[in-house]
Amino acid sequence: MMLNYMFFKGCTIPASLPNIERLTLEILPEIGINLVESDEFTCCPDPIRLQGANQYFWMVSAARNIAIAEEQKLDIMTLCNGCENTLAIVNYRLKNDSQLKGKVNEALKEIGREFKGTIKVKHFLQVLKEDVGLENLKKMVKTPLTGLKIAGHPGCHLLMPNEILQFDNPVDPEFYDQFIAALGATPVDYLTKADCCGVSLNLAGDKEASNRCIQSKLIDAQLNGAQFISTACPACFNQFDLGQFIVAREVPQLKENPIPVLYAIELLALAMGHSFEDIGYNLHRVKATVQGTV
Amino acid sequence: MKVLRLKFEKNNILKRDKSIEVCFKCSTCSKFCPITQNVKKYNLENSFVTHLFEAEEHEALRDVWMCCACEKCVITCPQDTNPTEAFTNLKEKSYELGYAPEIVYRLIEQLLAEGTVYGIKFSNLTRKRAGLKDIEKNEKSVKELNLLAEKTGLQKKEGN
Repeated sequence: MMLNYMFFKGCTIPASLPNIERLTLEILPEIGINLVESDEFTCCPDPIRLQGANQYFWMVSAARNIAIAEEQKLDIMTLCNGCENTLAIVNYRLKNDSQLKGKVNEALKEIGREFKGTIKVKHFLQVLKEDVGLENLKKMVKTPLTGLKIAGHPGCHLLMPNEILQFDNPVDPEFYDQFIAALGATPVDYLTKADCCGVSLNLAGDKEASNRCIQSKLIDAQLNGAQFISTACPACFNQFDLGQFIVAREVPQLKENPIPVLYAIELLALAMGHSFEDIGYNLHRVKATVQGTV
Repeated sequence: MKVLRLKFEKNNILKRDKSIEVCFKCSTCSKFCPITQNVKKYNLENSFVTHLFEAEEHEALRDVWMCCACEKCVITCPQDTNPTEAFTNLKEKSYELGYAPEIVYRLIEQLLAEGTVYGIKFSNLTRKRAGLKDIEKNEKSVKELNLLAEKTGLQKKEGN
């Protein structure tokens, strides 16, 4: 039986990682997930800057996106931690606060829409955890990623606020490692697993501080034996790819032994029998040859 | 021990987030805050959280945008306060008064022009290279978003 979701692509994936969008639409039907696209969605909007600009506008715009999926009677699947954070928080708050819901619907009435509170919003990893199940995923794997040592990076906005997202332990997250293991690879444990990738420091203009975040995480993963780092957030992905490319110029440890990043969808595609070439690994800034896989 | 008091915008923020007043400046949150850990001018003696709570107007309104809302401070606070929420409220004030980084005003402008925070023209160049079809602007969605911006009082003015 196929699981059906509205596919909330967000802004960053279609604009800067379109290859991930292509792979998602190609691979997920192979594990029983059918995605419905919509061109009516707008930016989620993001929880760091656009929430800060005007919380009422942020909430109403997010509620509009949720209302579009409600009209189709489908749950939303996101592929970005920022989108998940915004849409899940707004969905939760409006479902649990009738006064707030009334205020939001007063604005939505202007455009002929209404937030009803009838659907769920789930990140791709939550869909794997709650709806597909890792035991089922294991059975669907065609080419186990045996021998690959991968450090998982769940990312801050998928872990907190924990009472709303209820995805994983925010201090010592475990699910990403279980996902890596389900694909046949070896998860690498490292102390800075739940630490920030530094993207907001980059956006706030402190590139030096942002580079320190990238460097400390990647070197920690490397010292613990990782060949790759993996994430399911486009902002974290860009930090570990383009960000690492820049940081490595001054860090011999990363220049000589880079830790390429693989999106969760790319890992899944490899385990479903696709080659590194198929998944668009050549489009990455930071690459390393792994014996027997490239 | 000096008791932490939120100076700027204290009364307005307390109206929305009462828990912040029980902060007793133990610095537990700062040990986990990515800003205090990585931004040069901050350290455990003068952390991002305590600095911001004691800062005067202009400084608080500019630095607050470093906060990525990772909520490490919320997880670790022994007093159950929510500094992240206080910072989001400070960001709102900062945007309103024109102290937000220029990029935030540009993002709003771009969002209200095309419904996405990335310019469609440039996104389509990347998409072409990856062999994907172009994104097209959805006029109806953009119109709806602009109506919502008007209704919610979102300002579009230039930054300082």
